[in-house]
Amino acid sequence: MAIATLRHHPRFRELGLTVKILGRNPLAVAGGIIITAMILLATFAPLLAPFDPIGISLSDRLKPPSGNHFFGTDEMGRDIFSRVLYGARISMVIGLMVVGIAGGLGTLIGATAGFIGGRIDNFIMRLMDVMLSFPSLVLAMALAAAMGPSLTSAVFAVTVVMIPKFARLVRGEALAVREMPYIAAARVSGAKNGWIILHHVIPNCISTVIVLGTLTLGDTILVAASLSFIGLGAQPPTPEWGAMISVGRKFLMDQWWYATFPGLFILVTVIGFNVLGDALRDVLDPRIRR
Amino acid sequence: MRVLHYVLRRLAYMVPVLFGVTVLVFIISHAIPGDPASMIAGPKASREAVENIRKSHGLDRPLVVQYLTFATGLLKGDLGTSIRNHRPVTADLADFFPATLELTLASMTLCLVIGIPLGILAAIRRNRITDHIIRVFSVFGVSMPVFWLGLMLLFVFYRNLGWLPGSGRLDAVLTPPVQVTGLYLIDSLLEGNWPIFVNALWHILLPAFCLSYVYLAIITRIVRSSMIAVLGQEFITTARAYGLSEAVIVLKHAFKNSLIPTVTITGLSLGELMGGAILTETIFGWPGMGKYVVDSVNSLDFPAIMGFTLVVALVYVAMNLLVDVLYAVLNPRIRY
Amino acid sequence: MKKLWLSLCIFLLLIAGPAVAEDKTTLVVGVSSDIHTLDPGVSSDNYDWRQIYPCYDRLVKYKVVNGEGSTEVEPQAAESWTVSDDGTVWTFTIRQGITFNDGTPLDAEAVKFAFNRTLTIGKGPADNIGAIESMTVIDPYTLEIKLKNAYGPFLQTLATDGASIVNPNVMQHEKDGDLAQAWLAENTDGSGPFTLTEWTRGQRAVLEAKPDYWGGAPNIDTAIVRFMSESADRRMALERGDIDIAENILVDQIPALEKNPDIVVKRFPSQLVEYVYINCQKPALSDKRVRQALNYAIDYQGIIDYVLQGNGVQMRGPIPKGMWGHKEDLFQYSLNVAKAKELLKEAGAEGLSLTLIYSDRRAAWEQIATVMQSNFRDIGVELNLELMANPTLRDRVDKGDFELCLGAWSPDFADPYMFMNFWFESDKWGLPGNRSFYKNEEVDTLVKKAAVLSDQAERVKLYNEAQEIIMEDAPYIFLYQVQTIVPMRKNVTGYVYNPMLESMYNFETIAK
Repeated sequence: MAIATLRHHPRFRELGLTVKILGRNPLAVAGGIIITAMILLATFAPLLAPFDPIGISLSDRLKPPSGNHFFGTDEMGRDIFSRVLYGARISMVIGLMVVGIAGGLGTLIGATAGFIGGRIDNFIMRLMDVMLSFPSLVLAMALAAAMGPSLTSAVFAVTVVMIPKFARLVRGEALAVREMPYIAAARVSGAKNGWIILHHVIPNCISTVIVLGTLTLGDTILVAASLSFIGLGAQPPTPEWGAMISVGRKFLMDQWWYATFPGLFILVTVIGFNVLGDALRDVLDPRIRR
Repeated sequence: MRVLHYVLRRLAYMVPVLFGVTVLVFIISHAIPGDPASMIAGPKASREAVENIRKSHGLDRPLVVQYLTFATGLLKGDLGTSIRNHRPVTADLADFFPATLELTLASMTLCLVIGIPLGILAAIRRNRITDHIIRVFSVFGVSMPVFWLGLMLLFVFYRNLGWLPGSGRLDAVLTPPVQVTGLYLIDSLLEGNWPIFVNALWHILLPAFCLSYVYLAIITRIVRSSMIAVLGQEFITTARAYGLSEAVIVLKHAFKNSLIPTVTITGLSLGELMGGAILTETIFGWPGMGKYVVDSVNSLDFPAIMGFTLVVALVYVAMNLLVDVLYAVLNPRIRY
Repeated sequence: MKKLWLSLCIFLLLIAGPAVAEDKTTLVVGVSSDIHTLDPGVSSDNYDWRQIYPCYDRLVKYKVVNGEGSTEVEPQAAESWTVSDDGTVWTFTIRQGITFNDGTPLDAEAVKFAFNRTLTIGKGPADNIGAIESMTVIDPYTLEIKLKNAYGPFLQTLATDGASIVNPNVMQHEKDGDLAQAWLAENTDGSGPFTLTEWTRGQRAVLEAKPDYWGGAPNIDTAIVRFMSESADRRMALERGDIDIAENILVDQIPALEKNPDIVVKRFPSQLVEYVYINCQKPALSDKRVRQALNYAIDYQGIIDYVLQGNGVQMRGPIPKGMWGHKEDLFQYSLNVAKAKELLKEAGAEGLSLTLIYSDRRAAWEQIATVMQSNFRDIGVELNLELMANPTLRDRVDKGDFELCLGAWSPDFADPYMFMNFWFESDKWGLPGNRSFYKNEEVDTLVKKAAVLSDQAERVKLYNEAQEIIMEDAPYIFLYQVQTIVPMRKNVTGYVYNPMLESMYNFETIAK
């Protein structure tokens, strides 16, 4: 219901225009291309990967890059190129999932707090402040450690860490919206709080949330990979980039290719999101600073 | 006076936040599965030995009681006893804090020393090749997986070129300087021990650069954009009209005005840097709190994890406060 | 600006040269883990013992025969001893003239104090000397120790780190009745050949030799233990000559080290074994045919050849080669897919799905787990892998909350008791040692009987009998016995490896 209404909202129509403006910005185009390429690689990994990403072949251990294994092989004789491709799937899914959930919940929380105000607002925002009192990685690490190392805990941890960032931003927007005359009009005509939040407050924050979401995607991928790197995320034999680097680190001195390629993919993907996010921000919402 | 009021209000506001921080940290670390008592007892300990330890460490009491014990201890500056090292966590953190502080400060210095000139350069060469290079450099910075950067730096400068050492704060055979500040770079100078200073500097270069790169990129961006904003303003045009030299305009007038955002971001980064130290210290075998906490996570050392998380949160909150206060002082236009 | 940087760099390079002039002999060992505590009454960790052991004397020590470590003991602080016929009363005559750093003599009282201290603290080391019931000082240099019951391995346990003789004067550092634990955690006070003079956490520990040690002055003046957590880092440092010995180097990096003419790579058969606990209490695994099938599924040779790069041998029974009681002709499982499938079919357990838990405590485990996954797939068993933090793993092992689990075990003292009784006695279920929750009354009787005898031949017979039953019951998958690899600079001589002193160094006789 809410979605259907969104489509006709003026803010949403603005987005179409935005895409056109972005097309003229070379950086945005570059970011878009990178992201599209990564999504394609992730989607078609099973078709593109020459080898089974978890099929071991002990006699092919730690072979340098060659025509057969573009990125070499790892300590189990698995093809690193294939693993990196499958890794794209994992990172993309993590990124979208975290940002989707954290963005959604954060927006809801922020909008509610900002619109309703008073004690509820105070309580929620103090809670968010507490969560923002930790550097992201520290809180995520503590949470992931608490839940036991797994990809699920990493995703949960990163999601929790990202929620307050959205909530705080949206709350600010909601505070401003609350004072708008048409809100008072809606109130007078008997609209309930929930209805107003869904139909007026949230749609007004959509562009802000999209910009923050894009920028957060890059961060999310970085934090999730960092968690996997310290052993709190994806577990073997999952071909997650951070986890691959973590093992590859042991072989760095002689088998440089092991840690190098997954890292390059993280870097490129995050660059894609950041560049696109920056461009989006310039167009949509110059207020957000990072 | 109004500034004082503001500071007091900010301080009072910190109380509930800090309370929340302790509760959160406590909850998180007690949700960890695994039995710390059996960890303390050692790999082949009998069941009775494990039970004794559970009792003596109070690990068998209800969670609320354990929290109250923790919170009362906290007020006395007691963070509990590290399970792994059998000693007070405060003592452990005190041992590892200086290394982290030294690394953080060194990174901060690099950020400012490199970041500000790069930002200024990019601003005055706006949209020219220098600007583009600097912007690419900073996009890489904010997108860089720190742990991977560290590995690549090690591979190049330690493994291949052999220019810089791979781990630690000093060579194995060197005796650390007598502790005054705990920062080897400063203590060695106080002692007048030049070889130690040089060796320590040699060891800190790679980890400091690795840790600083992200924030270096951010500071460069901030300086660039605020400089661009300032350079476009009227008083700069006026100054130019008066025939002031470009250097004077840029350094004396424009940069002074972009100081506020720079200070803000620098202060906020200091807390983040301490968090980032987790990865950097692990990669470079830097014996600080970050490496300590990663080791503690592996052995489920509750008090140690709590201690670290709390200390970092404290530093972070304190830096935020400091930034807000500085901001209020620097910018008289702020509404309190 | 650029020129300034360049000249600064050159300047620094010039002064960065060799930092100290060497006039003393210093041996640097690069190790993977920091010390946790230096208290011999508390630590159950070889990485702590590495520093503790050279700082103390014990009643007995391991023999060195032709430059090789042996698991038999000979007198150290004890000159001689006698034992009563029933094996419960031991009388030790203590060597006169040994003193602690402050001049206190090491006498019967000191030994009694040290053992009592360890027993009172009641942590891991207390279990090793737990057979002691009471001690009586007969005269200043004679100590009588009464045991709760005859205990075959008793003399061996006196060579362990927990039996180190601590200076009774440490009690002056006691705080709140802690038996000086706080102080001894960070200091050493023994009569051994070394004294710890510096421990900078996360960085290094420095052991200073005592030139007037009663057993003869060590060959080196200083031993420095440098903590470097990464194998790759230790290897580089060894090649650069920053350290003299590097431990725990990944097998994959060994071939490169062997090519370096300045480095010698030494290999020793250790008694560290790695094996899989099969939880016999889990429904699917309570059938011994299933357990046998799993034993037949493993590609032992493949694991040893590729994962260990040849640095290990397949276990033959629970007792490792080199420990007495090891049975050369005992049955050994080998890869036999057909047989495994047949056994599963017989047991009606086809299409089985199991979970293996493991931690990252040992470098090879991840690879082993992955190989097992693929081996099990060949016999139609699906294996899920679950990596977890070591404490979580230990918790689950203790509660029996697992199906399969990877483990490593090394003996604390040179007696098959460490394997046969710890692993198979049904009252040691869980963490204490019987981690497969195995119960066979026949085996129970045999191993318990063997434990209280002192006649070695008789004990071997009993243990042999038990081993036959165990191989049939297959409560574990015995993987391999590890080969310890110690790479060192060529100029290091006199290093002695002892399988009871894994990751420890004989600093008192090493020379450089």
